[in-house]
Amino acid sequence: MTQVILFNLLNGLIVGAFYALMALGLSLILNLSGVINFAHGGFLALGAYLAYSLMPTIGFWGALLLAPILTAFLGLAVERLLIRRLYGRDPLYSLLLTFGLAFIFQDGLRYVWGAQSVPYQIPGWLASPLSMDYFFLTGYRVFMMIVVALAVAGLFLVLGYTRLGMRIRAGTLDLDTVSVLGVNVRVLRNLNFGLGIYLAGLAGVLAAGMLGLSPTIGDQLIMPSFVAIIVGGLGSLPGTLVGGLLIGVAAGMTTVFFPTATEAVIYVMMALVLIVKPSGLFGDEGRLR
Amino acid sequence: MTFLKNYGVTLLVWVVLLAVPFWFPYVGGYTGLGTRTIVMALAAMSVNFLLGFTGVLSFGHAAYLGLGAYGAGMTIKYLLPSTPLGLLIGVLAGTLGAMAIGAMIVRLRGVYFAMVTIAFGQVFYFIAFRWSSVTGGDDGLTGWKRVPLDLGFTRIDILGNDVAFYYFCLVCLAASAGIMALLLRSPFGRTLLAIRENERRARFLGISVDQHIWLSFVISAAFASLAGVLYAYLDNFVDPRAFHWQQSGEFVIMVVLGGMRSFWGPLIGAAIFEVLQDKLSSFTDNWMSLLGLFFVLVVVFFPRGVLGAFGRKPTP
Amino acid sequence: MSLLEVGNLTRRFGSLVAVNDVSLSVETGELRAVIGPNGAGKTTFFNLISGMMSPSAGTIRLDGADITALPAHKRVALGIARTFQVTEIFPELSVRENLLIPVEVAAGLRLAPWLSRSRAQEIAARVDELLAMGGLAAMSDRLAGELSHGDQRATEIMMALALKPRLLLLDEPTAGMGDQETRDVVRLIRRLHKSENLAIVLIEHDMRVVFGLADRIMVLAEGAVLAEGTPADIAANELVQTAYLGSAA
Repeated sequence: MTQVILFNLLNGLIVGAFYALMALGLSLILNLSGVINFAHGGFLALGAYLAYSLMPTIGFWGALLLAPILTAFLGLAVERLLIRRLYGRDPLYSLLLTFGLAFIFQDGLRYVWGAQSVPYQIPGWLASPLSMDYFFLTGYRVFMMIVVALAVAGLFLVLGYTRLGMRIRAGTLDLDTVSVLGVNVRVLRNLNFGLGIYLAGLAGVLAAGMLGLSPTIGDQLIMPSFVAIIVGGLGSLPGTLVGGLLIGVAAGMTTVFFPTATEAVIYVMMALVLIVKPSGLFGDEGRLR
Repeated sequence: MTFLKNYGVTLLVWVVLLAVPFWFPYVGGYTGLGTRTIVMALAAMSVNFLLGFTGVLSFGHAAYLGLGAYGAGMTIKYLLPSTPLGLLIGVLAGTLGAMAIGAMIVRLRGVYFAMVTIAFGQVFYFIAFRWSSVTGGDDGLTGWKRVPLDLGFTRIDILGNDVAFYYFCLVCLAASAGIMALLLRSPFGRTLLAIRENERRARFLGISVDQHIWLSFVISAAFASLAGVLYAYLDNFVDPRAFHWQQSGEFVIMVVLGGMRSFWGPLIGAAIFEVLQDKLSSFTDNWMSLLGLFFVLVVVFFPRGVLGAFGRKPTP
Repeated sequence: MSLLEVGNLTRRFGSLVAVNDVSLSVETGELRAVIGPNGAGKTTFFNLISGMMSPSAGTIRLDGADITALPAHKRVALGIARTFQVTEIFPELSVRENLLIPVEVAAGLRLAPWLSRSRAQEIAARVDELLAMGGLAAMSDRLAGELSHGDQRATEIMMALALKPRLLLLDEPTAGMGDQETRDVVRLIRRLHKSENLAIVLIEHDMRVVFGLADRIMVLAEGAVLAEGTPADIAANELVQTAYLGSAA
């Protein structure tokens, strides 16, 4: 029993880390630009497929490095060509646009790489268990946790200590003032979007090694990411991180005791949070309206 | 003359709708497609009650479509083979669901409201998917049929006769549209317009904004679940995709395509959408891409919709 | 017992004290002005009374009843109406509809799904009366968003008045107006003050307006009451002169 619980706890933590990574990107974009990027799951899947195609040539490590960056470049282009047109309009429109993009992504991936899941190779030495007693504690699982932790730490360092990061944070609080101070808001939003998509691409490259790679890989992650944002709190990136891990672990634990409710439990958590504190655990009351 | 000016559009809409079984086949349609169109139009109009006339964006109305559909289907399958009872219970299920969810989200606004409605829609998707012993799971709820209507003095065969079923759905649409139009012209309806126009002003005129948005949400969901009931009756079938966010998104695009400040806009949007889907999906395997492209094109080039181009008188 | 009694009202934003221990009582029929340099806390004070935000400390009483914790829309039902520094109307509805909505709310009809013919006629008559009173009858079918700044202001004031308030809060009613528009609005306020049985509290920067209208004046500076009295008292008060000469003038 202990093993089962530990297994699912670890699984939940890892899945939660993916939720968090994806939700952090979504949050960045939502907070600065007021856009819910429904195509985020599509970007994630694209990152994974790019890594899959690059791996034979440049190996796993090269792909881990390069695929998220390529995905981010596509993100910059999409923001520039399409999403940018909709700033300042009713959020309805950007939502519909990214919704449409999500469909195009899914269908496009299916067209290029096929509807079936593809074999996604991770380095052999990472795939083997680290301990005989805890067979599920594979090197890859530990490795994923480390990469996600590094990525999150990197994100908070960028936001806290670089010029770009400080501008993003300031823009999130008060875009008008930032713009009056001479910051080019268009460029800022573009780079911020790219940063968010980079995180999605990275999550994709990592997640494919654990969840398997098919065109719908983003689908199973996007709803929980929304929930992570709502549970963690509107406008709070640390909240989003905590929210992601929390619902991941909760889903993992539910698998042990009541497997049919694995998916439903995160929505129950969301409902509870909304009843108790509508702005979320670490949320800012002022962002409700 | 004033009568024509005020009610001309409504009159035209009803003449066209009443005559669908007679002219639709000649332009390449069939009665079943006509029925599907008015059912989806009812759902889109319910979304527009909230979006166009209250200014609140729900991206999760498939939840109520699904609740209505499963409520009706399960009633007939497990409880009593009665079309009206299925309708009643289906609408009740959707309305009660909306009451509970509405109460939890009514303090949120804008994108956050939309995001939470999307997320809540998925709960029902997973329930329908997982609880297969009752819902039929991924295969859908089958093994039941809508039942001919027995009015005492006569019997209407809405099961065997497609045209009769079309008119049954049209009666439901007429009743719903009538109620929505009356509500929008009432003092309550005007408070909804007030909230859409300027929430702060509305609050400081003594309107309890959260309560009114909740009511509007519940009313809108009630009509969406009625559409769900008809949706299930249409094919005597419902599967979890009725709950899926793709369905919710389609309702919103129908509203935008038709023109979201106009009463009949969603009907036009639904007609264009359903006919396009019917024609194109038989040509291509890449319907999803076309659908996505369609969303992008509407948003970028046609954000005001078909009826948005004419007048802006918001009341019907 | 006064109509409005504000006791030791305080509101802090972090370390900033926007409103500091302000007390005020206003009688029915009185026209009170609140003046003070920019950032003196006047609008915050209004926001506290009207229920847009809650105070950190202190009490607000209307007719003796404690309303400190009531949400905004319930305060409206008890008789507090307000306008905003930046005009808040329903831009894509006609002027008539802009007034119709508060009239119906005031008649207790906000949840009514239908209206009898006779009731509808009564309501329409009241709207016509308000349109005439505000000088808006000629433009009643135009969209409110299309009106001139002055007429939008008049619309907003008449919307507040349509609620039959006992206390009317006007936040800088002449802000951003030319001389002619200012004169029109002042005339409107004076007329309403005479014809309706209510108390008016207004925030104003234009001293000609303040001294032309107010019975009594309260001066705020840095969130606290600097002086209180009749226009003559205030004009003679040295503290007030220093405050204005020092920071605003």
